[in-house]
Parts: sequence; C-alpha cells; structure tokens
Amino acid sequence: MNGNGSVELNATVEQVWAKILDPEVLAECMMGCKELVLVEDGKYRADLAVGVAAVKGKYDATIQLADVIERKSYKLIVRGEGAPGFVEAEGLIELAPGEDGSTTLTYTYTAEVGGKVASIGQRMLGGVAKLLITDFFKKLKKHVEKEQKTA
Amino acid sequence: METKQIGKPMKRVEDARLTSGQGSFIEDMSPLPHIHHAAILRSPYPHARIKAIRTQAAEEMPGVKGVVTGQDVAACTNPFPVGVTASVHYYSLAVDKVRYVGEPVAVVVAKNRYLAEDALEKIEVEYEPLPAVVEIEQALHPESPLLHEQVGSNIANHRHFSYGDPDKAFREADVVIKHKFAFPKYSATPVETYGVIASYQSSDDSLTIWSNFHGPFTLQSVMAAALRIDSNRLRILIPKDVGGSYGIKSGVYPYMVLMGVVSKKLGLPVKWIEDRQEHLMASSSGTDRVTWIEAAVKRDGTVTGLRMKMVDSVGAYVRAPEPACLYRTHSNTTGAYRIEHLQMETIAVMTNKSPTGLIRGYGGQQLYFPLERIMQMVATKLGLDPAEVLRKNLLGKEEFPYQTPSGGIYDSGDYKSAFDKLIGMVGYEEFRQRQKEARQKGKLLGIGLACIVEPSGSNMGYITVALTPEERSKSLPKSGCAEGATVSIDPMGGISVRISTAPTGQGHETVAAQIVAEVLGVDPRTVKVIAEMDTLTSPWSVASGSYSSRFAPIGSSAVYQAAGKVREKLLRIAADQLGCSPDQLEMKGGKVALRNDPAKQASLRRLVGSAHWNPQGLPAGTEPGIHETAFYTIPTAQPPDEQDRVNGSAAYGFVADAVVVEVDAATGDVKILNYCTVHDAGVLLNPLIADGQIMGGLAHGLGGALYEELAYDKNGQFLSGSFMDYLCPTATEMPPVTIGHIETPSPLTPLGAKGLGEGNTMSAPVVIANAVADALAEWDVTVDTLPLSPNRVWSWIQQSKKKKEEYA
Repeated sequence: MNGNGSVELNATVEQVWAKILDPEVLAECMMGCKELVLVEDGKYRADLAVGVAAVKGKYDATIQLADVIERKSYKLIVRGEGAPGFVEAEGLIELAPGEDGSTTLTYTYTAEVGGKVASIGQRMLGGVAKLLITDFFKKLKKHVEKEQKTA
Repeated sequence: METKQIGKPMKRVEDARLTSGQGSFIEDMSPLPHIHHAAILRSPYPHARIKAIRTQAAEEMPGVKGVVTGQDVAACTNPFPVGVTASVHYYSLAVDKVRYVGEPVAVVVAKNRYLAEDALEKIEVEYEPLPAVVEIEQALHPESPLLHEQVGSNIANHRHFSYGDPDKAFREADVVIKHKFAFPKYSATPVETYGVIASYQSSDDSLTIWSNFHGPFTLQSVMAAALRIDSNRLRILIPKDVGGSYGIKSGVYPYMVLMGVVSKKLGLPVKWIEDRQEHLMASSSGTDRVTWIEAAVKRDGTVTGLRMKMVDSVGAYVRAPEPACLYRTHSNTTGAYRIEHLQMETIAVMTNKSPTGLIRGYGGQQLYFPLERIMQMVATKLGLDPAEVLRKNLLGKEEFPYQTPSGGIYDSGDYKSAFDKLIGMVGYEEFRQRQKEARQKGKLLGIGLACIVEPSGSNMGYITVALTPEERSKSLPKSGCAEGATVSIDPMGGISVRISTAPTGQGHETVAAQIVAEVLGVDPRTVKVIAEMDTLTSPWSVASGSYSSRFAPIGSSAVYQAAGKVREKLLRIAADQLGCSPDQLEMKGGKVALRNDPAKQASLRRLVGSAHWNPQGLPAGTEPGIHETAFYTIPTAQPPDEQDRVNGSAAYGFVADAVVVEVDAATGDVKILNYCTVHDAGVLLNPLIADGQIMGGLAHGLGGALYEELAYDKNGQFLSGSFMDYLCPTATEMPPVTIGHIETPSPLTPLGAKGLGEGNTMSAPVVIANAVADALAEWDVTVDTLPLSPNRVWSWIQQSKKKKEEYA
C-alpha cells in the first residue's frame, strides 16, 4: 500500500518545521494517539487505537524520525504491534518554501500490515489509510495556521 | 412389509433430531465438570523468528489458569510423524519460528473464553520477520528463502514415474499440445468449526479427547506418537453430530494434540472451539497446484500419451496425510481415457501459507483441471468437436475391468452410454445452433464438457507411492481399506448397529439401517444406528473414518457383512428349532419361516430370546448372545509394486458433466444457464441421499470454479479472513442442475455400490472453465487458472482486445 500528496501551509518553512518536530503537535494530529513518549533521540513510543472495519484495537507503536535534513525533510517510521496485527509504515515529508512566505509540504508513504487487520480489513485499508493521513495534515494545517493568526 | 430396503429413497433418520434442535455437536457437549476454556494466540507474520515470548502479565490476569507456549510443546511431544523423508519438524505450537499467518504461538486457559481472549492481548511476542515464500514456482527456486533450514530446500517430496513408453508416444505423435495450469488454494467451510475437549488423567497417564474429527484413523497413531502416549491411553470420542467437514475437519488433529498437552500441563479439562476467522486463516485447505501438461495426439484426436509435472504447495509444513493430495488420484491420472503412456513428475513444496490436508475431491479437482482443459484444447487445435474427441478416447464397456498404466483397476463402467445420455440431456447439437444465433446478437454463450473417473474407498497403500520402492521396502507394506461394523440384538429383540465411519452429515445412520433391515427382514425405522465413534469401544481400523467417499463401497459392506453374520446365526438357531436346514429358511417381516411351508415359523424375537435367555438350548457350538462384528476390505487394494503401480482406490465411478454458460463481455461475469451431470456410481444405496451428495459436491465445485480462494499477498499476508472476502456459493448462486444416473454395479463390493459424493467437486471447476473457454472462443484467451471471478475474466478479454488492436 502506498500513496502521496501535498498540502499548502500558510506559514514559513521555519514555522512549519518547528511544528512537525514537536511531539505534542504530532500526537494531537494523529488520530487515536494520546501522547508520544520520548524513548531515545528521535524515537517515541505511543499507544495507537485504530479501527479498520471490524478490527478495532490498540497498537504498541514506535515512531521514529530519521534522515532529518534541517528545515527540508525527514522520514517518519511507524511500527505498531497489537492484538489486531501489525503495521509498518514509512513516510517521507518534504518542505519547500512558497513565494509569499507559505510552505508546500509534500509526502509519500508506504505501509505494510499483517495479521487480522490484513486478513479481514484488507478491502478497507486503502480508504482508512487515506482517511488517517488526510486527517493528520488537516489537523496539522489547522495547528500551523491557528498559531499564525494568534501570533 | 416390503423386504427390499437397499436402493429405496428412504428419508434420513438423522433429520428429525437435526431439524428439531436435538442434534448433539461438540459445542453442546460438557462431558466433565470444571471444564476450562482455551484461546490461541496466532502469528501475524508469515515467516519470522520468535526471539522471546513474555507470558507473565497474561498469567496474572484474573481467571487465567495458565499459558502454554512452543517450548512446553517441544519439551513434552514429538514432532508429528509424516510419510516423507524430508526432515520437517511440525509441532502443534510454533517452536523458534513461525511459518504462516495464523500459526498457533501460545494458548491461554481461563475460566471462560472471554477472559482467555482478553489475556491473549497481554502476551508479548518478539518477532524477527524473515522473507516469505508464497508462490509455488518461487518455492522451487534454489535461492528462495528456506522455511525449514534442516531440509535444505523447500521441497518436501519429489518423485518421477514412467509407465508404458511415453517417449515413443511423443515421438510418434502428430501433434503435441502443452500448457501450464494453476489451481488455486481453497477450502471447504463447514458451518461448524473445529472443536476439542481434552482431559488428561495423571493416575494412568491417559488422555481422553472429544472432537469433531472424522479420521482417517491412521492419524490416531500419529497423535499417539506425537503425544508419547500408549495408543490405548489415547481415547478419542466423536460426537453424534458433526456439522459438516468435506475433509477439512481431518485437520483438527494438531489441535487435539495441543489441547492434550494443555490439559496435561495445567491439570484441567480444557475446551477449545475455533472461531470463523481462525478457521479461514489456519485450519486446513486443499493444495494449490501448478501443472505442466503435454499431450501426445494423433490427427484424429486420439491421445496416446501424457507428460505431467505437478507441484503442490502443502503450506508451511508437510502435515500427514500430505503429500497424499499428489497421489490420491495416481491410479486414475489418465482419467476416463485409454491413454497407455504416461510420464509424471510429482513435487510437494512448502510455502508460507496454512498447511493443507483432506478436502472433498482431494487431488481430483487439481488433476482434472489440466487434464480436461487439455482435452478441450486438443479438439480446438485439431478443429474437432470436443464431444467427438472425448468420445473417441473414452474407455469402452468391453474393456472393463481396465488396468490403467499407473496401476488403477477400474472395476466397472459404461462411460459411452453415460456420455451419450449427457449429450442428449443437455441438447448438445441444438445448443450449437443456439450459440451461433446468440453470437450474431453479440451474446457469448459457451458449453463445456468433462468426463472424470471418481475414485472411492482409498487404499492405505497409495500414500506410500510418495516413497521410492527402495524406501518403501524398509518398512511394513501398506494396503487395504478396512472398515468394521457391529450388529447386535438385545434380549428384547432391539437391533443396534455400531459403525466407525464417523459421518459428518452424509446419512450413514439411514443407509446402515436400510442395509441391516433388508438383511434381517425388519423395518429400517426399528434399527438403531450408533455413529458416535469411540476408539476404545468401536470396531475400527486404521482406514476408518469419513473420507474418500468410502461409506458406499467399504463402510456399507462392513455393515452388510456384520448383518449377514447375525442372519446366519439366527437361521442356524431357527433351523435347529424347526428341524430343518438353514438354506430352507427365509427371513422376512420379523419372522423366519420355511420357504415351502410358511406355517412352520419362528419369530425373530423368540430366536433372539433363545440366544440370550436360554443359551443351553442353542445348537451345539453356538455362542450365546447376538453380537457380531465384521471387517471388510477389498482384495484389489494391494500395496504399490516395484514399478510404482498402485490401485489407489476400491472402486471407480464415472461422472460426465455438461455446462452451458453466458459470459458478459462488459463485466466478465459468468452466468451458468444449465448444469447437467450424469453419474455412474454402481448400485445406489439410497437415491435421495445420493442426489443430495451430488448437489453438495457440485456446490463445492462451483465455489472452486467461480468464487473461492484463500488469497495471500506477495509478502505472505493472508487476505481472505472473513466471508466478506472468502466467497462461498449460497443457495442463490446454485444454477439449475439436472442429475442423471446409470448403474453398472461394482463387481468387487457386495452391494455393487461405489462412492459418489466427490465427483462434481472434481469436475465442476474444469467443466465450467471449459464452458467459459468455449464462450470466449473468438478472443485469444486460454482459461488456465481459477476462480473465474469477473475481474479475472474481464482482464483476459481486455488483454485479448488489446492484442487484436495491436495487430489490426
């Protein structure tokens, strides 16, 4: 399973960069995630609660930021395991400055799932993944732009 | 009262209890107090090393009695024995590595199932994922990842066979037609899933297991060996009612062993009922197979030789009775045809998918898909009508008994009469006209034909063809297909029959009652049949059980012979009392009377009474009581010979199918307009049950043709874990079916009967494929895989359209 997309953010690259490195923001933007707990540099532990079709449940996940190029890009590596099975996803997030102080964020992702979530939820997975990801960036956009207004 | 009972369409005696909620299934049973409940943790990975399992948190949960892991199983059981030389260590729980999605990893036992399932979530397993092998051709590749390192390859079994002079046949052929076919992995989906209750008793180191297992009882010794227990300390009981199996429930035996270990370790009786997701993911299934087939053909359509390389995927472990799927049809590889030269290569590979085992049709659908497709392709290639090609190659009535090149002995048949009957039934000639007219209107109609030989009553020896003659000679030869039955009459004259055929819905109780009633001249409704199997008290053999359609040729014969022994004894007693010889007597209407002087008679009740109440009055040498057991086998079920020829089955029936389909070119949807099937299963013991079996077998075959597949992605993840994705035909998918019969009695079985429950499971996938191929004749499409789902058929049409456009 893979996909890609982009969002226009009404904030500078520096402002966006600060947000997408902030574990509190990341946690708030991820559906079904309460908090990210730092375990080592660039690596977090999280409990994710996600339902795919009839397969609902919790995943013990690690979320890792890798290949970090300051104000330009990083890789987000998510590995989750739980009663419904496992999820392994990798996303590349890249920032590019726009003309009027805005930022274009583009992303590509691949994901593999296994166990019950694959055997039962397979038909829904593409849709659910899309939903989770668009929801993530919608929330992120809100976060970034709300800050802009209040600033 | 009529004396004739065998062959009558008697209604099933089982149905009264089944339709009134009085059936007794494994889940209904509570044979012991304090039964606890098990839940199984399963692997989400197709292939991974188990680095650690942490169970403490689960064990500390309220109501949890304990957890069992692979280490416990490895410590107290042996790997399951299997009939190949490859050293595959298969245990009832994964040890060190998992090799398919759904493989059992740990068992939790708790006060109830809810607590047990909750505790599963608290078990932490650390996996190190490994690359998976999914496809057959990938598994054959020497560089592919290894499932079992100690085997050195993914090949579990590999043999070559040559019968007649295949090289000569191919040298002298006018045309050689060859193709590669892929048959999918699919299952049967009984309404009732697996269930086991196990109770270990330490005082005599014995284990009692209740399960909806149905044999083959060769597996009782496999289980005892795995459990390291004396075989008479492993008591297996099968409930009165089993909610369908179609072969699949044979695969419950690893769970019987697993629950035995769990009960022993935790010191509790344990019950486990499989859920539907577990069943689809990890119970059992048929093999997927790739076949490379070549036919040596004369210009007139006569097929003189075949070369076949068939490769079965047996899943992650070669599990007994596999690799039997490769060999079950070994004797009838050349089908219903006079093909004298045959070369075969058989390979079983292991892949990261669920292990396989018995399934209705076992090996037949995998064999006939390439064979009957190639017969149609021969006709197409030579510009002949497929009906003409089939007819030319069919064995003639005068050729029976016919010995096939691979050693099968076809006991009887009249294939051409059955085929002609079919051609008439379906209106073959008229259809060709209709088809032409429909094509002019842009409608794609097609007709498919298939002729298959349906083996029944497996010879225990056929499985040993997996070994070379040298390997075989090192152990006891295996042969026969023995089954036992007991008929007894109590002091008040009540007749009871004990059978060991472990029925799973086939109506054995009814037919056994009919047979005994006819032999003893009583009303079948008064005969009580006990089908609950108990390995400590039932008359059984290694071959016992419900598989290979063996009740009609074998099980019924054992019942017939046991009833015959009772009859003989009663006649001896009557002759003594009436002062005549037994051959002057006849038995009917609950009486024994002199044939020439019916006034001289004795009631059965009185004769039985004498045997029980007054044994001193019995003729000299007669034992008291009425309790007779008989065991029956077929003399032609010999061990394989030095040339690897084997007669793998007791009897061989015949099925000829014709199917009319319409294919929607816009959507790829296949609609079956008419399905005709003609069977020759020798003498029909109960035509009502026979037709029910045919319809059921056909529904299963229809699933294989159009809907069912246990699908995996390229990484080995399982994708069809619910009935949303694993599609089964239901009543609304069943096409109109017309059933015809001819009866050429088997000269080998005492009642002349042969099995018939599996024929259409073998024939339906290919006959529907042939019909679709015929409908798509104008497109350059070769139907060489299944199921024929709309997206597959539509893609073929699109590819063909594209090709046409490119050339245009």
